[in-house]
Amino acid sequence: VTASARRPWRRRLAAAVSLGLLTGSGAVVASPANAYELVGVVHTENVAAGPYDLTVGFSVWPVRAMQSLDITFSPEGGIADKTGTLAVVGVGADPDLTGPLARHPRKLEVWGLDVIAISAPGTYSLDFVIDGEEGRGAGSLPELTVLAQPGPPLALSWAVCALPFVALVALIGVAWGRVRPSRYRLDL
Amino acid sequence: MPALAVATIVLGTMLTTFGISFDIQWHDDVGPDTFFTLSHLMLYAGSALEGLASLAMVLLTTARQRRGDAAPAFAGGPPVRVLGARFTAPLGYLVAGVGAALFLMFGALDLAWHSVYGFDAVLNSPPHIALFLSITLTMVGSIIVCAAASTRWWGRVGIVLGAIVLMAFAPLTARAFDGLPLPFDTRVAGTCFATVTTLIVLGAVLKRSGSMLALAAAFGMLQAILWPWSTWAAHAYADSSGLPLRDGLTGEPPSLPSSLPLFVVVAALCLELAFAVARQRRLGQTTAFMLGGSAAGIVVSVTLLLQTVLFDPTESILTDQYISAGITGLVLGAVSGFLGARLAVLLTMPQAATAGRRVSSSRTVLSTGVTS
Repeated sequence: VTASARRPWRRRLAAAVSLGLLTGSGAVVASPANAYELVGVVHTENVAAGPYDLTVGFSVWPVRAMQSLDITFSPEGGIADKTGTLAVVGVGADPDLTGPLARHPRKLEVWGLDVIAISAPGTYSLDFVIDGEEGRGAGSLPELTVLAQPGPPLALSWAVCALPFVALVALIGVAWGRVRPSRYRLDL
Repeated sequence: MPALAVATIVLGTMLTTFGISFDIQWHDDVGPDTFFTLSHLMLYAGSALEGLASLAMVLLTTARQRRGDAAPAFAGGPPVRVLGARFTAPLGYLVAGVGAALFLMFGALDLAWHSVYGFDAVLNSPPHIALFLSITLTMVGSIIVCAAASTRWWGRVGIVLGAIVLMAFAPLTARAFDGLPLPFDTRVAGTCFATVTTLIVLGAVLKRSGSMLALAAAFGMLQAILWPWSTWAAHAYADSSGLPLRDGLTGEPPSLPSSLPLFVVVAALCLELAFAVARQRRLGQTTAFMLGGSAAGIVVSVTLLLQTVLFDPTESILTDQYISAGITGLVLGAVSGFLGARLAVLLTMPQAATAGRRVSSSRTVLSTGVTS
């Protein structure tokens, strides 16, 4: 088989591979709903908010600082006829986490917090107010312990991740040293 | 070929900017995340385009150099010998290519980060900031590429487009300081510094009176396009994916476009006045740029706080915050004025080299060429 005879075959193969990659990636991109991980609850706590029993589910346990997780809030009897608010109280609590309870985007039958992280270790409380047919009820998960962050020390992570900034400063520094731009005046 | 490479690299930076705005809005309004989302694809495609264009130009320049045929300086800036002089890289493409390579490297680190910390809960994780810095480096490279070709129309168009995406994107890197107990607002500081420095550099490179106003108008157009784009793209993609929007959305303005400064035209006007004073030699260039930079910095910083109240009337900004923003703008604007003039000299040196005029004395005047 000569080289020239091989070329059309190679072209066809290349075209097929390219098309496969394109359609494959297109299929993955076009149907992301199938690709999202379901919320796996690995630990639960029960809270009594007045007349309402609430199950608080955690996708990661124990909770560690900076490590993301999903938290679900499932009142007995479902959320259809209820509304509520959540307040996360503690030293590293993001104020955005406090507010009306909303459906979890990947587990629509319960309320939840989707991919959140607590920034600092410590003891936190989750305070609930729930309104429903049986009136208003308040309750709290009073001692949620958040352990220290996993992984290497944060200073080391920041030092490594500052590399592009160092590259930018080095580029300007080298150019500055060679040209010494203060000697020149721009013709505007 | 240089024009095609400029178009590719600028298209890459545009894709990145539209992709990041789409991605932030997706997280705000919809939520679920995987590696394979359309917004991520836009981000990666943007960096891939920039990297491939840079690689192609380095290889072409190296091939020309080996044939003994010097590449013109407008094709990416002055040539730099790299990797033991095996390759000859135009400076702009070298910087853009290094930025794209760092983006890949820190993309891998981001995946490792996810394996320890889980999916992204925050925008300002160390690997994210490294990715933003890498993209910023690529955008700086694109500015060097376009500045080297600023005598050509496609170079001037490229430099304006490259500058507006840099002004929109670079402030994201200031998110690294979120949460630190600093006496000033780091987002205001980042936006002020990126906006004023870019305006001054571009004004000095393009030279024409009114060029900074034109740049500010182009930045306003980018903001006006990103505004509906971000919300539309996130919601349309959610709809096509069968995912609902988050409960309780209250029609807040899109995150990235609403964080871009709205009154850049006023800041540009301050700088046009400073340039006019410098042209008439009523003040030294550095003094004029620093004064104009301070005025522009105050405008950008204070109006950035004002616009948060404009978009969300429930937001309250204290007088102390306005004063702090004003001082931040004053100081950083002066720094931008000092640096901007010098960075413009660095950017225009390749043109001086092309013009074949020598730079010799400490009183040399730098222009498209250089006269003594």
